[in-house]
Amino acid sequence: MIGMVSNTFQDMISRLERYWADYGCLIMQPYHTEVGAGTFNPATALRCLGPRPWKAAYVEPSIRPTDGRYGENPFRFQHYFQYQVVLKPAPADVLELYYGSLEAIGIDLVSHDVRLVEDNWEGPTLGAWGLGWEVWIDGMEVTQLTYFQQFGGLDLDPIPAETTYGLERLAMFLQGKRSALEIEWAPGISWGDVYRENERQWSVYNFETAPVETLTRRFAEHEEECRALIEARLPLPAYDQVLKSSHTFNLLDARGAISVTERAASILRVRDLARQVASLYIELEQGSHADAAV
Amino acid sequence: MPTLLFEIGCEELPASTCRAVSDQLPGLVEEHLGAAPTEVLVGPRRLAALVELPAEVQTPAVTGPPEAIAFGGDGQPTKAALGFARKVGVNVAALELHDGFLTFRPPATPTAAFAEQALPAIISGIVIEKPMVWDATRIAFSRPIRWLCAKLDEATLDVSLGEVQSASASFGHRFTSGSIEIASPRAYTATLRTHDVEPDAQARRAQIIHGLDRLGAWRDPAGVLDEVVHLVEHVVVLEGTFDEKYLELPERVIETAMQSHQRYFPLGGRRFAFVANGGDPATVRAGNERVLAGRLEDAAFTYERDVRAGIDELAARLGTITFVAPVGSFMAKSERLVKLVSELDSDEDARTGARLAKADQAAELVREFPDLEGYIGAQYAQRAGYPDAVATAIDEHYRPDSAGGPLPTTPAARALAAAEKIDNLTVAFGISQRPTGSRDPYGLRRAAIGLCRLATEGGLSLDVHALVTRAYELLAAQQARLTEEQAAVSAQVVDFVEERLETLLGVPVDYVRAARASSVGDLGRKASLARTLADLEPARLERLHTVYVRADRIVSKAGSDDLLPPLRTELLSEAAELAVAEAHAEIVRDLADVTDFEAAVAAVEGLAEPLERFFDEVLVMDENSAVRLNRLRLLADLRGTVRTALGDLAEIPL
Repeated sequence: MIGMVSNTFQDMISRLERYWADYGCLIMQPYHTEVGAGTFNPATALRCLGPRPWKAAYVEPSIRPTDGRYGENPFRFQHYFQYQVVLKPAPADVLELYYGSLEAIGIDLVSHDVRLVEDNWEGPTLGAWGLGWEVWIDGMEVTQLTYFQQFGGLDLDPIPAETTYGLERLAMFLQGKRSALEIEWAPGISWGDVYRENERQWSVYNFETAPVETLTRRFAEHEEECRALIEARLPLPAYDQVLKSSHTFNLLDARGAISVTERAASILRVRDLARQVASLYIELEQGSHADAAV
Repeated sequence: MPTLLFEIGCEELPASTCRAVSDQLPGLVEEHLGAAPTEVLVGPRRLAALVELPAEVQTPAVTGPPEAIAFGGDGQPTKAALGFARKVGVNVAALELHDGFLTFRPPATPTAAFAEQALPAIISGIVIEKPMVWDATRIAFSRPIRWLCAKLDEATLDVSLGEVQSASASFGHRFTSGSIEIASPRAYTATLRTHDVEPDAQARRAQIIHGLDRLGAWRDPAGVLDEVVHLVEHVVVLEGTFDEKYLELPERVIETAMQSHQRYFPLGGRRFAFVANGGDPATVRAGNERVLAGRLEDAAFTYERDVRAGIDELAARLGTITFVAPVGSFMAKSERLVKLVSELDSDEDARTGARLAKADQAAELVREFPDLEGYIGAQYAQRAGYPDAVATAIDEHYRPDSAGGPLPTTPAARALAAAEKIDNLTVAFGISQRPTGSRDPYGLRRAAIGLCRLATEGGLSLDVHALVTRAYELLAAQQARLTEEQAAVSAQVVDFVEERLETLLGVPVDYVRAARASSVGDLGRKASLARTLADLEPARLERLHTVYVRADRIVSKAGSDDLLPPLRTELLSEAAELAVAEAHAEIVRDLADVTDFEAAVAAVEGLAEPLERFFDEVLVMDENSAVRLNRLRLLADLRGTVRTALGDLAEIPL
C-alpha cells in the first residue's frame, strides 16, 4: 500500500518538516517547558496574537499526566508527540495544503476514506477557542484542524489556522500497527523501546509520588511570579509561568488532589493570567512595530 | 419559467448547520425572491437551492403628489413634481398620472439582476448558531465559504460575497473529482451525481438506511444517523467485524465505543456497520476494523483492571475521590446514602446498593465513558456475585435522568434514587449553591423533578423535609463545611422541590399552592391532595372555600392569631357558637382517623352549615373583649384545622 517508501516514525517527521519548510514555514523546535499540546508553545499561542503574519511548524511533546497508563496500554501515554503547523493568516487553500502533506507522507487520498468531522477546540486555561475538525482516515483520528478565533480572551485578527497531527496515530495508520508501542521509530527500534520505561516511571510519579503539598505551594508560587512579571512588563517570561502553573495543575489533577469546584476556580485564575499576558504581549509588540516603522 | 440555482460551497459544515440551513432556506428564499425553492439540497460541503422565477420582476409603483399640486396653472411641473422625479431618479416626462396622482412605474427588473441582488441577502440572512470568521473580510459563517455557483438557466450570475466571486463551476467529490461546470440549474443534481456527490440529504439518508438494512438488524441506540447523513457526500455503507474476545465486555460499553467516537452502527454479535465517503472498500474496512479494535482493546484493558480490583475495592477507594470540596469524598457520600436509604426502605439490597452505588466513580472505565456511570457499577456488582436486586439499584439510581425518562423499576432502586437526589439537594443548598437562572451545575432541577416523579408516579413515600433534615444532620456529623443553617436548608429544599410539583402535576398551580400549605409531609400525598382539590365539584369546593375564607378574613383582620388566648369553652354562650365549637371538635376527632382526602373534604364540609348560622346570628366583634377574643380564637382554630388538613384554600381563586 505504501510501496517502497520507508515510513519509520522519524522518516515521517522528516517528510512533514520538508513539506512545510518548502511551503515557507519557519521550522521551530519544541519548547523547553511542559505543555499539554503544541498550541501552548508560544510559537503558536503568542504568535497568534496581533497583526503580524507568521508561519511555523514544529514537533512538540505533549505532556498530559492523567493520560499515563504505566506503559501498559497500547494507546494511552502521558508523553507523546504532536506535529504543529500554524499559518497566520489562514490561507484560503489550507485544507488542500493539509491534504498535500498527507500525500507527502505516502497516503493515497483516493483509496482511503479521508474526512473532516466537526470538532471544536477550547483551551479554558488560555481563554482560547477555535472551530474546526478532527480528520479521520479510515475512521482513525489523526489530526485536528482549527481556525483560532480567540486567545487570551482577545478576538484574533488575522485568523490563524492550526494543524495538529497526532504523530503516533498517524504512524500507527501508516505502518498498520495496533499499538503505538509497536511503531517502528527507526529501522529495528520501536517506539516502545524508546519510551516504555519512561511511561512506567512517569506514571508512578504522576499518579503516586508527585508531592501534593509541594506542588500546591508551587502552583501558588508560579501564579505569584507570573503576576510579578506582568507587573515588570515581561510577557514572555510571564507566559512561561502560565505554562508552569498549568502543568502543576495537571500534576495535582493526576494525583486526584483537585475537586470539581477547585478545578473551576483554578482554571479561572490561570485564564485571568493568560489574559493579562496576552494584552501585554500585544501592547509591547505594537510598540516595537511602531519603532520599526520609524 | 427561468430556474435559479445557487450553491454555497463550504469547507466541511457541522451536521447541525446542515439541518439548520435546511430549515431556514425555504423562508429566506421566499422572503428575498418571492418564491419558495423547489429544492433545497444540503450536505457537508454545499448548501444549494433551486427556485423557479418569473421572466422579469415588476417592482411596485411609487405614488407622488396629486395632479393639482404637481402641475401649475400653466401645465408646467411644480417644485413638488420635480422633487419627486429627482427622488425616484427619472425626468418628470417619464412619470405618468394614475388615479389623479403623479406616479412612477419602475421598469421591470430582469430576473438575473433581481437574483444577483437577493442572493447576498439570503446568504447573510442564514442564522448560524456558532459562527466563525476566517479571513480579512471578517464575514461570519459556520465554516469558511470557498465558492459560489449561481446560475439562472444557462446564464451565470454575478454575485460576490467577501473574497468569493460566483462562477458557473462547482466541485465534485473532494478526492475523486475537482472543479466541474454546471451547465444549467436543471443539470445540477445529475452533474454532481456523476462526480460522486449526492447533494440531496434525503437521498443520502435513504441510501444509508438501504445499505444498513441489507447488512441486517442494525441498531442506533445513540441516534448518530442524523449526523452521519451529513458526514458524507458519497454514501458507501460497509460492514466490519471485531475479535470475539471483546464480546466479554458489557454490551453498552461495546456500543458506546462504536457509536460515541466512530459513529458506527452495531449489527449484533461481533459485526458492525459504518458509512464511508469513498475509498477502496477493503482498505477502508481494514482501517476501521483496526480503529475499533483499538478502542475495544483500550476499553477491555480498563475493564479488566477494574474487574481485577472488584467493586468492593473500588468502593474502598472512594475516600480519595472528592465529591464536592467542602463536603468531602464519595466515601462520605456513600455512608450518607446508606443511612438515607434506610429511612426509605428497610431492604438489605437497598442498603448494599447504596454502599456500592458510587463505587464506579473510582472505575477507570467510567472515566472513559462517563455516560455509563451506574451501568458500569451494576456490571461490576454482578461480576462480584451481588444479587440482581443490588445491581438494578446501582444501575437505576440516577433515574429519572430526563423529564420524561423512565423511573427505577424496583422498590430498592426507587429508594436509592430518592436518597441520591435528597443528598445532592441538601449538599448544594447547604453550601449555598442553589441554582440561579440558567446556572444549575449540580443538576438540581432535574433532581427535584425526579423526586416529584418518584413520589407521584413511583408511589414512593417521601417526606422531603424530614429527609433533608436527616441528610443535613449526617453531613454535620461528618464535619462537612456547610454555609447554611439546617432549618433554612430544609425549608428551601422543600420549597424548591414542591415548586417543581406545580409544573409537573398538570393541575392549576393554585391548587398545588393550597395543598403545599397543609401539614401533609409526604410529597406524593401532597400531590394527591392538590389533585383531590382540583377534581372537586365546584359546589363542594365553594362550600369548603367559604368556610375557610370567612374564618380567615375575620381572624386576619383582627391581627395575629398568635396573640389570642386559648379557647375558653365557658365563655361560649350563644347556640350558634356552641354548635360551631362542637362541630369543630367533632371534625378534629374525625380527621385524626381519616386517611384519604375525600373523607377529609367530607368532614370539613360538615362545618359549612353551623358556620353559616354562626355568621348570621353571632356578632364576633362583641364589646366584651374576653368574649370577642374567644370567638376569634374559635375561628382561628377552625381555620387552622382546615389548613392543616386541606391546605390554604384562600390560594384558590373562586
